Amino acid sequence: MAAPVRMDLGDIQGDILRAYGNAYDCTTYAFVKIECPPEQARVWFSGLLGHVTTAEPWAEGEKPLTTLNVAVTASGLRALGVSEDVVGSFSHEFRDGMSSRAQLLGDVGPSDPKRWERGLGTGDAHVLLTINAQQTSDHRRALGKLRHAMDTAGGLRIIHQQDTELLPGSREHFGYADGFAQPAIEGTSDDKARGGGVPLKNDQWRPLAPGEFVLGYPDEDTRVDPKKRLPSAPAAPLGRNGTYMVWRKLHQDVALWRRVMRDAAQLYHDGDQHKLEAKVVGRWPNGAPLVTYPDQEPVGIDPKTPGGNDFRYDKDKDGMRCPLGAHVRRSNPRDALGFEGHLSFRHRMIRRGMPYGKVLPEGVLTDDGEDRGLVFVSFQGSISRQFEGVQVQWLNAGNIFGLGHDKDFVLGDPHGTGKMTIQGKPPFFLAPQEVFVLTRGGEYLFVPGMTALAALADGTAG
Amino acid sequence: MGSPNVAGQAYAFMAMTPIKPGEECPLAEYLRGLRAHGPSPLARLARTHIGRFVIVPDFHNDPTWKQRREEHLDLNYLIFTSNFDGALDSYLDELCERLAPEASEIWGRCVGCPESARGAALKAYLKHNQIKTGIFFTAYGHATVGEVKQALREREGMIAFAVASQGLEPEALQKAFLAEIGIAR
Repeated sequence: MAAPVRMDLGDIQGDILRAYGNAYDCTTYAFVKIECPPEQARVWFSGLLGHVTTAEPWAEGEKPLTTLNVAVTASGLRALGVSEDVVGSFSHEFRDGMSSRAQLLGDVGPSDPKRWERGLGTGDAHVLLTINAQQTSDHRRALGKLRHAMDTAGGLRIIHQQDTELLPGSREHFGYADGFAQPAIEGTSDDKARGGGVPLKNDQWRPLAPGEFVLGYPDEDTRVDPKKRLPSAPAAPLGRNGTYMVWRKLHQDVALWRRVMRDAAQLYHDGDQHKLEAKVVGRWPNGAPLVTYPDQEPVGIDPKTPGGNDFRYDKDKDGMRCPLGAHVRRSNPRDALGFEGHLSFRHRMIRRGMPYGKVLPEGVLTDDGEDRGLVFVSFQGSISRQFEGVQVQWLNAGNIFGLGHDKDFVLGDPHGTGKMTIQGKPPFFLAPQEVFVLTRGGEYLFVPGMTALAALADGTAG
Repeated sequence: MGSPNVAGQAYAFMAMTPIKPGEECPLAEYLRGLRAHGPSPLARLARTHIGRFVIVPDFHNDPTWKQRREEHLDLNYLIFTSNFDGALDSYLDELCERLAPEASEIWGRCVGCPESARGAALKAYLKHNQIKTGIFFTAYGHATVGEVKQALREREGMIAFAVASQGLEPEALQKAFLAEIGIAR
């Protein structure tokens, strides 16, 4: 195998390869519309560059109070004056945009783009500014500065702003620990290979090639290519050290989830709602995997510690421990599809989701009208192969897992079989399927590297 | 066995016809439009498992392949494939009558298609342009379209029954089973 790839961390934006971490507990996503000529917009864009946070590691004690990251949509590239030829070198799904893929993604009915929140899915969202902060006051100050820069430049408007905040214990609103199972990347997170990489024979694992997540590096296809070609990427200099980003605002109906689980548990053979919910998710609330701990939530186990995410499905082929249709098993099947992970390892993505909205107090079973849910963010080299592959082929369709038309019970809708099977003796059928999660908006974006950002700013991106 | 076009009782037909110059876009638009206007015309051929029209504009020549010379098609080609139950002749007879309204819009735009794109003349044209199937894999070559649809209905019925009867005592379960599903054939 070739020598390990050295990543150009100073040219890659931050929070992609490594998460900024839980010290930053508030994040704001601000979508900017450019309403001025490209030359004027580029002056403002240039002013952002010095504030953008890169992947360069921070020295001890030099963690910035706030971070800034920048992503653009296809219409954003045009608004910055990038030529059609260069825009055409980006992937077709990125150019078409998320709302044009609604049928495919299952964003229909109440999740239809026609019902999305203002400014999303219309082509008006041009630039996404992501601001992370350690404290609310820092956060407000950083946002104020960005707004001031926009007002000074003129012709720029925030058309959608979403504030998010970590919930206690890094849980999402249904109460489950989230975001710690990430792909292990060669040269960056080799230590996470067990459970995060590619499952090989004899209980071995290896990390994934970096080009799966950042363009300009070998991916799983080209890592073994003797000609050393690189995966397809936008025209230089935009392609190098950039990545595609998926942004989705997912509303969660927590009260409905609790009611459905409470009612279903009355029929569940040991009447255990806690266990029934875990069977649907595939993990216990603290994140411990069902395949390792099938009977009860282990005390004192933290899956975020080394080895905590190290498990396979090979000893649970019939789903008696973790159901074949459990959410985590469908969204990251590891070795469950056989062939040494060959059918699954090209569909991994880096996730940097953040919850929004207030927690629905424990025990409350009626909706309080508050908007709450998850801002889903993923980074990948190919939106169609990675994000859409998982969403369409694994979560919305069950064929590959032998599940027929069963949709993912957490994210799906009633238009499939309308039930989930929980394997057991006898098996349990969880029905009917409700819509617990609604898409409130989303965009496909590109996160350029620092050199590419500079080229966009001075109009030399082509 | 025998014909490579056949697996079980199913037949894999493929015809490749050159598109008249200038007709590429109108044909592509017409084919796209078929999906927008109600059910597929191939639904009129109840023996069809899956049918597909593909337009091949040219060969893709990847510069990294280092071919001695690039290869190109002189014309765009239309590929029609259909996997269906039973014998080719009777299927094409049905196709050339029931798809006559569409056939003149589709193969009528191809080189050499008879003026009246229907009946025996169209059948002869399609057979003349048939490409032999190299390998035909089908997961259920012995099941006809009717049998597949029946199996799906039974599956759906069984799922609905399993969900609805969950938790019943054995006696009530047996009663419900006999009422809803009946005695196993």
